[in-house]
Amino acid sequence: MAKAKVKFADVNVTVTVPVGTRIIEISEKVGSYIAYNCREGDCGSCLFTVLDGAGNLSKPSALEKATLFAHFQEVLDGWRGAGDIESLQAMMRRENFAGKECRLACQTQVFGDATVAPL
Amino acid sequence: MTQHGEAVEPVAVTGRVHWIGAFDPKMRTFDVILKTPNGTTYNAYLVRGSDGVAVIDTVKAETADQFFARLEAVASYDEIKVIVLNHLEPDHSGALPELMRRAPQATLYISEAAQLMLKALLNNSDIAYTPVTTNDRVSLGDRTLRFLNTPYLHWPDTQCTYLEEEGVLFSGDVFGCHYCDEQLFNDCVGDFRFSFEYYYSHIMRPFKHYVLSALELIEPLQIKLIAPTHGPILRDHPRHYVERYREMSTPRLHLGIDHDVKTMIIFYISSYGNTMHMAEAIRDGAAEVGGFRISLYDLEGGEVEPFVDLVEEADAILVGSPTINGDAVKPVWDLLSSFAKINVKGKVAGAFGSYGWSGEAVRMVEDRLRGLKMRVPAGGLRIKLIPSEDELETCRDYGRDIGSFLMGKPRAREIDMSQLSAS
Repeated sequence: MAKAKVKFADVNVTVTVPVGTRIIEISEKVGSYIAYNCREGDCGSCLFTVLDGAGNLSKPSALEKATLFAHFQEVLDGWRGAGDIESLQAMMRRENFAGKECRLACQTQVFGDATVAPL
Repeated sequence: MTQHGEAVEPVAVTGRVHWIGAFDPKMRTFDVILKTPNGTTYNAYLVRGSDGVAVIDTVKAETADQFFARLEAVASYDEIKVIVLNHLEPDHSGALPELMRRAPQATLYISEAAQLMLKALLNNSDIAYTPVTTNDRVSLGDRTLRFLNTPYLHWPDTQCTYLEEEGVLFSGDVFGCHYCDEQLFNDCVGDFRFSFEYYYSHIMRPFKHYVLSALELIEPLQIKLIAPTHGPILRDHPRHYVERYREMSTPRLHLGIDHDVKTMIIFYISSYGNTMHMAEAIRDGAAEVGGFRISLYDLEGGEVEPFVDLVEEADAILVGSPTINGDAVKPVWDLLSSFAKINVKGKVAGAFGSYGWSGEAVRMVEDRLRGLKMRVPAGGLRIKLIPSEDELETCRDYGRDIGSFLMGKPRAREIDMSQLSAS
């Protein structure tokens, strides 16, 4: 089986994985601080940043695009229910990262070498 | 009549506010996790303005008769203009459907986060409501209700409602406790301090940082009286309870000198000293990295509660257990099951242990740590029976790994995914 190397920058761990593995299958096990919740592409909790090798990852599906869009939309429009400080801070972080490549760990598959990190 | 044989009457709280809740003195266990030695109260309140009446919270369905009897003694249903639910848990929303049936003209105000819960809780999609957030106001003529969005105290939906002209804070479960005394006011009831502290430590404690956020909204208010949904109404020194919440929610360890120094705790339990020797070697390795405090504790030598206090303030927690009959041992699970009382999400964690035959304990503990969303940067360390000098070096290296990670300088590692999946 073809292999690829994914580096999780925050924990400095490089994992050799079979091609097609999803980021979330690895991130949790190496202790990377990529958060997660639904694992179904809906909640957007597992947003992460691609530092290198974006072209070696699966293209975002319609579902992932919709979830990413919804999240950035919230950031841009402001979020009225921002009483939840964690959520607000997370959104502020996302805004700062708006120019970078953000993906969902539960959706993104690895096809070649890449370096990733939590937001 | 109540179970004490007394008349079911409302209680005047201020000139414009009546308590219309219910006494439940026979309750002994609340929500599975709380002991209630003299029962509890479900506090609901009625506020009268020149232009209508508001009902703040309701009661548990089983005690609805008391609620409606008290309500009817101070207002008629057609006067009710506003219903506020500060928290949708069934002990406060139990009488809501019937109240809305009797007062169909009233508008229901809930927090934005409560919207999704409302339908699931009441199995009724027809209930109309208006979502509100901090500083939204509702006028009752000469009286005004202002909302404070205070999420996660202790559900996502929780909010407080402030009656501006009277300085009354309807705080929901915040500042509440399970204590049933029909004298109702904190200056008249028995000594309920134990209950207040107990309620905080079991209900609010996992949400400490949300408590601190809520206090930012609550502390600037002119508070003459706090009207929580359980236990005594706090009219004597109400500020004291606010201050106590501030005190209990403020991190205790990270104060004064060296407030940024991190803390690692290594817990272990050992049948023949092997897991203990691993623990000591891990500590030695971690100490080589330096720059943080390390403590080593034998679970056999202490009670769970003080250990949980330590974990709450620690940055890294390692847990060592032998494997007996294919499982980690009970003191380890007692400790780990108590982590639900505090917030451990994001803390660094790891598991290790010596074993005789099969060594399942380490993986099981590791899964539990991950399940609590702790960060487990290095795979659990298992050693068969007595650790050799080489194996002790492996333990020291594991300590260096965790220590480096804790200090924000994780050592570069290259691994194969098969090593991660092994369990």
